[in-house]
Amino acid sequence: MPKPVLRGLIIVAFFALTAFILVPAYVPRPAFIPGFAPPPDMWPRTVSLAGIVLGMLALLLALFRPQADESPLETDGSSRARMAGRFAGLMLAFVLFLVAIPLLGFLVSTMLLTLSIVLMTGERGHRIWIALLAFGAPILLQLFFHSALGTQFPKGVLTKPFGF
Amino acid sequence: MLNEILSALVAVATLQNLLIMIAGIWGGVIVGAIPGMTGTMAVTLALPFTFYMDPVPSILLLVALYKGSTYGGSVSAILIKTPGTASAACTALDGYPLAQQGKAGKALNMALYSSVTGDFISNLSLIFFAAPLAVLALRIGPPEFFMLMLFALTTVAGVSGSSLLMGLVSAALGLLLATVGEDMYGSFRFAFTPDMQAGLSIAPVLIGLFALPELIKLVVMRATKQEEAATLGAQHVTRAEFMGSLKTILKGSVIGSVLGAIPGIGPSSAAFFSYGEAQRSSKKGANFGKGELEGIAASESANNGACGATMIPLLALGVPGDVITGVMLGAFMIQGLTPGPLLFQTNIHEVYMLLIGMLVSSVLLFFAGKITMRMFAKVSHIPQTLLTPLVLLLCVFGIYSIASSPFDVAVLLVMGVVGFIMFLLNIPAAPFLIAFILGPMLEENLRRALAISRGEPAVLLSSPITWVFAALIAFVLFITVRREVQKFKTERRVEQ
Repeated sequence: MPKPVLRGLIIVAFFALTAFILVPAYVPRPAFIPGFAPPPDMWPRTVSLAGIVLGMLALLLALFRPQADESPLETDGSSRARMAGRFAGLMLAFVLFLVAIPLLGFLVSTMLLTLSIVLMTGERGHRIWIALLAFGAPILLQLFFHSALGTQFPKGVLTKPFGF
Repeated sequence: MLNEILSALVAVATLQNLLIMIAGIWGGVIVGAIPGMTGTMAVTLALPFTFYMDPVPSILLLVALYKGSTYGGSVSAILIKTPGTASAACTALDGYPLAQQGKAGKALNMALYSSVTGDFISNLSLIFFAAPLAVLALRIGPPEFFMLMLFALTTVAGVSGSSLLMGLVSAALGLLLATVGEDMYGSFRFAFTPDMQAGLSIAPVLIGLFALPELIKLVVMRATKQEEAATLGAQHVTRAEFMGSLKTILKGSVIGSVLGAIPGIGPSSAAFFSYGEAQRSSKKGANFGKGELEGIAASESANNGACGATMIPLLALGVPGDVITGVMLGAFMIQGLTPGPLLFQTNIHEVYMLLIGMLVSSVLLFFAGKITMRMFAKVSHIPQTLLTPLVLLLCVFGIYSIASSPFDVAVLLVMGVVGFIMFLLNIPAAPFLIAFILGPMLEENLRRALAISRGEPAVLLSSPITWVFAALIAFVLFITVRREVQKFKTERRVEQ
């Protein structure tokens, strides 16, 4: 499927989902609205409907007035499957980071996230810099934010005995 | 009046006051340059220190922090495409492409010159026009505010890149996301989790949308371009470049000064407004978003231009225009000064000292900016594969420290993914952000205006101010439609 058509479909689907499912379910209308104040769902519903119209327009333009191919994305030449794998890996790292905060604490979680991200970029040289970035920078940042702003970073259930 | 100004000048020109302002400006620049740390944070943190100071130095310290942080936001926006503050988002649009072309120094210098000029003009407007501007600002009610915000939203047309349609889609997404949380009557909208009841903060959305997609692109596509940035010393803004942008700088300064005087608008909206206006009127409008110095000039002159002007309603009427001036109102009260019309009668000496001090701080901003620029310039020599994870780290710590909220960190990461998907689908991010920032003000004032008028839509065109904005909106729409028609005709001619 050409990218502009897919894009139009995604836009229409997203705004339709919002207008017809999410707004009725997650934007409650109060039983009593004082005076002539418009209800809370007026604005999100209007914007969603406008979004559907824009998406339809994008879809129609993509179908009936196909443009020249949009400039290709710059990559390292990897296959789509490989890039999808990298994306999935990154998403997993983000999710694991959020899950790890209550268990390992903010400091250790950010260390692990940083290390995994650096390795995911393909960087294998600069080993000392990688170690400093992954382990030294979070310690420095935590000290800075804690002493300058008094930020209390969450400690982990598993790492609490060690003080972080 | 002249005698009072001269005696205030003598009172301000003490070593203690100058040191306080230097510390404030420099501290503000550094705080503003760190993603996630805001001017509000800097001013709030400094507030306890002012308890032990005299009234004028304490207010000067807070004002200096505010100004410095507003400029500082441009440093990270240009060097690492991570606007330190929301008001620097437009700066990133042209600043980062310039940095990628090895012209980071030029971009930083233009940002500094524009900021200092905008700030200076804003301070002058504070001295000479505080009273009339405050009166004008008071005439802005919900209908006028709505029309003003609607006009500001036409900026979307300017930052939509090659496709206006995709720009509008992006703006619709931003408007929709801005509705998450509690509305003005206490209904919770799209509150899928308890954390979402408070809505989404600007900082994680802004930084996630601009900074994180670069990281995801680097990991997924690995198309790293190792560009060695040239030394900053070789990248001064030439006289011709500065003069070419002077009209835009002056216009941006005036826009910032006028909009800053209206409570609730603030530097971000002023920057968007000025950027859109500069793109519409500039001969180089087509280059905006690709690395155009004039774009930086428009954005930076307006956001710093709004800084001094936000003091107008505070000093003249005792009305704080935004969170920062709200904190400053508290500082005034702690020092035994009550902002408002009486302040100009009972404490005129302190008022002039403050105004003169603000002018001096504009000059100090220039030197602080120059020094800080050299410090941050080393950033451009770090390899992308190390710099981008470092940016993520800064963002995660900075965002967490704003509200000690892991939810904000999750929003940051999710917005990064949203930004990456938008990049893949060729949907521009800037209109999203503009709509996200303006959306709540737009909706709230529309609903207020309709409630006041008992549901009568004609209220939106009920005063001369609303007519002016309606005419401006019609003009911009006409220009935009004409441009799109011309583009369409050119494309057809090329096809044939």
